[in-house]
Amino acid sequence: MFEELSLHILDIAMNSITAGARTVQITVTEDSRRDLMSVRIRDDGRGMDAATLRRVSMTATTTKSNRRKPIGLGLAFLRQTAEMCAGRFQIRSAASAGTTVTATMQRSHMDCPPLGDLNATVLALCAANPAVDVQLHYRNDGHRFDFSSKQDARPAPTVRSRIDSER
Amino acid sequence: MNLEQLKKLKEKAQRQVALREGDKKYRVVFSMGTSGIAAGAREVMTTMLDEIEKRGIEDVEMRVTGEIGLVDAEPCVRVEEKDGEKTTYAKVTAESARKIVTEHLQKGKPVLGLAVGKQKSAE
Repeated sequence: MFEELSLHILDIAMNSITAGARTVQITVTEDSRRDLMSVRIRDDGRGMDAATLRRVSMTATTTKSNRRKPIGLGLAFLRQTAEMCAGRFQIRSAASAGTTVTATMQRSHMDCPPLGDLNATVLALCAANPAVDVQLHYRNDGHRFDFSSKQDARPAPTVRSRIDSER
Repeated sequence: MNLEQLKKLKEKAQRQVALREGDKKYRVVFSMGTSGIAAGAREVMTTMLDEIEKRGIEDVEMRVTGEIGLVDAEPCVRVEEKDGEKTTYAKVTAESARKIVTEHLQKGKPVLGLAVGKQKSAE
């Protein structure tokens, strides 16, 4: 089990990166009026066929074919957290059409984990594969924060070293 | 937080992310599967990124992998050297993560006491 929602997010988004996603869109919505906490991770990776999709939210599913003992608990953990907190878990996917994982929770539920260190999650994802556009969309009662690791492209190393030498 | 601080933060994050690129002497691979994350791999990774950036160590690249099958030994960090030498560190904490950076990545001496599957007598 994870103590923070942001760890669930890191875990699921790592799946997205492994699935060859170029964009990973993380949307976190907190709504106090509806007493809702919602997390959605959407990617444009290779997706899953219907048979795989039926298996994935069960325990111990892995895409690694050489595994004697499959581990694969990530989605099952998130599902457990959502259902424990009077929420819902949903996964949509199709072969070569990406995957969207959504988990909702009752925000005031005593088992609802804290959001935790979302910064560290985003940093870890960016470092895991800088070629992937990691997007974070955070919504909290009408307040919003949007981040994209592609927002302004990092200057090429040559340009940066020139700027450095000018200082 | 003012604009200047934000810019500094951005530059720092860029230097950390840049650890991924190029043909470097060391490659640090984090096991970032479900069991690794549950055991604290994210904190180990951010600690190491921080420490490497702080010490200005440049001959290092960062990679991330999924489950490596050492569930009870997580968080695991593998340091691969250019000559093919691999050292796997198990049950890494923030403290031992810093030690791996200062000893192995900076001074080139593997921390054998923390490694798995290596002769410990050498330390």
